[in-house]
Amino acid sequence: MTITQQPQKNLPAPRSETRELSPVTVPRRWRSLAPRLIAPVALAAILLGFSLLSPVFLSVGNLVGVLGQMAILALVATGLTVVVRAGGIDLSIGVAVDLAALASAALIADGYRAWVAIVVGLFFGLLVGVVNAALIVGLRIPPFLATLSVWFIGSSVQQLLTGGGAPIYLSKPRVPIEFALLGRGYLLDVDGVIVSAALVALFIGALLGTTRWGRSVTVTGEQPTAARISGLRINRITVSAYLLCSLVGGFAGVILASRTNGFVPGSGQAYLMDAIGAVFIGATLSRFSRVSVPGTLMGVLIFGLLSNGMNLVGLSFFWQGLGRGVVLLAILLLGVLLSRNLPSGTGILTRLFTRPAARSTARTTT
Amino acid sequence: MSTAILEIPGDTGAPTPTRKRPSLLAWAGYGVVVLVLGIFALGSPYFLQWENLSSVLNQAAVFGIAGIGLAVVIITGGDDVLEGGIDLSVGATAGLAGSVTAVAAAAGAGSLRAVLTGLAVAAALGALNGAAVILGLRPLLATLATMGIATSLDLVVSDNIKVALDGGVFLWLRQGSIAGLPASVLVLAVAALVSWWAVARTSWGVHSYAVGQNSIAASIAGLSVARHRFMSYVISGVLGGIAGVLLASRLSAAVPGIGGQILLDIILVAYMSTVFSRRLVVNIPGTVVAAIFVAGLANGLTLLGVASQWVGAAKGVLILLVLAVVVVRGRNTAK
Repeated sequence: MTITQQPQKNLPAPRSETRELSPVTVPRRWRSLAPRLIAPVALAAILLGFSLLSPVFLSVGNLVGVLGQMAILALVATGLTVVVRAGGIDLSIGVAVDLAALASAALIADGYRAWVAIVVGLFFGLLVGVVNAALIVGLRIPPFLATLSVWFIGSSVQQLLTGGGAPIYLSKPRVPIEFALLGRGYLLDVDGVIVSAALVALFIGALLGTTRWGRSVTVTGEQPTAARISGLRINRITVSAYLLCSLVGGFAGVILASRTNGFVPGSGQAYLMDAIGAVFIGATLSRFSRVSVPGTLMGVLIFGLLSNGMNLVGLSFFWQGLGRGVVLLAILLLGVLLSRNLPSGTGILTRLFTRPAARSTARTTT
Repeated sequence: MSTAILEIPGDTGAPTPTRKRPSLLAWAGYGVVVLVLGIFALGSPYFLQWENLSSVLNQAAVFGIAGIGLAVVIITGGDDVLEGGIDLSVGATAGLAGSVTAVAAAAGAGSLRAVLTGLAVAAALGALNGAAVILGLRPLLATLATMGIATSLDLVVSDNIKVALDGGVFLWLRQGSIAGLPASVLVLAVAALVSWWAVARTSWGVHSYAVGQNSIAASIAGLSVARHRFMSYVISGVLGGIAGVLLASRLSAAVPGIGGQILLDIILVAYMSTVFSRRLVVNIPGTVVAAIFVAGLANGLTLLGVASQWVGAAKGVLILLVLAVVVVRGRNTAK
């Protein structure tokens, strides 16, 4: 112990030492709550700020419109949540979206029935998950690199199938009504996409939050070795997480094809970065820095409202990426900074955001 | 992966085992390279001509230089992708540096000043990454956010139109040559030599490997983990900036949005370098070899008449092959 004690003094950045010694004026409960409040506060700030800047922003019509635009991102991010909860990452979910949209749009263009197109579309999405699972669980390739190469292969496959990247456009009269309703229907004056996204999110949220499977996924992600030793079949659980993620991605793709009435190659990939951001913004909501479906939806809401607000204010498209990046960086950084000076009991909060090094040094200093 | 290095015999007094010859599998990476390039040489008489080879090297320069930057980040941050070092913003930084340089040159600044401005912006983005990472943010997330910021700034600076970049240094970078070697290849060679020297021959490089492979041990041994990590991101930013200037001068214009397109190739090149290493670690010479190989692959496939759509698929399969080799070798050494 003495050996480890002495060199502690020249540790790079004494993590929580100095702050803990300072008299605690704020009640402990407050301080442990603070990092979890960042995302809601940011959301409130966005709502307040843009409602002051633009009179239409807070109108019901606009907000419902935002929900409709966000539905596909919400689906993609929900799928990603499952995989991240299982301790992995899926960069190829955009490929699942694209391939599903491509398959269903192509089948509709060839005059197949709606249900055939939808089922085949979902199947194509699932196929991506099968490849991912085979690479990650079967060949033990790290998830980031495995799904990265699936991304390469998938975008190449798209170009091959579309003859070099030609978009598919569906002529409106020939689209079966059932297929059109999926993306452009209304249920009791509510955009149908919102309903389906909400249903899927509710289903996945319940699956992760309340079922035995959800608990297994969580344990597999956070303590794979302990999970394996205690008898969980972690391979099966990981496979199921990747399959479910791609299936949800495929569903998002079918909806995308129906909503845009066609398929543009590479359109699904655009959702990836926002989805990753939303998932990890959601993790700041949890006491254990655990990603969850409600948290992810809040992240999606932040991104959606931010984009919409920036559009309404008339900020040019060029600046919008800057706005989104700065907000993402600010929320995540605040989360890390606020949780860093917490008492040791909540040190687990930093688990998802810090690397193991920072975590362990924090533990040894306290 | 680090198990291979930690195989130090205990203090049992047993004679230290002599260094075994690397197994056949250790040469598999080079074998694949020679095989593929040999097929190209047989398939097309033009592949081995000097003009073609120099254009391959020319294309390799951009990915090679940016890949070296990413390799330094991975070396210092550890090669676990979710938690360890990664710089997703390196492509966007390259694009931004190219645009800034072109805009500055168009505004009448001298070539040198324009290049320095571009590199300064790139270094600032690297510093932003480094600051976020040493504050405790995951590199994956921090650089994801920076990537969005840099992409957006690229659009703002260039107004989303091509900015011509011509004359002076930039013309030389595109067409000039010394002793038959194209200028951009010379830049690649200098960058590779300097960083190889710094990583493999100085204490800073050894410390970087130490920080990346076991940061707790490194900090207990008195190394400043934070300083090494911060520096690695700044280096990655600067090298990304050099790559961006090179790319813009090769295209004789800064093309907005090009950063996203080159990111995947840069990541591929940096990770592929592990195959060219006996200890399965990311390294500088391997990165350069990988960059040349990837450029040669695209060139050779085109010469053989393969449609360009297949090149992406070929790259994806290639990463998987590489990773499979790494995984199999890792299993063997772990025993």
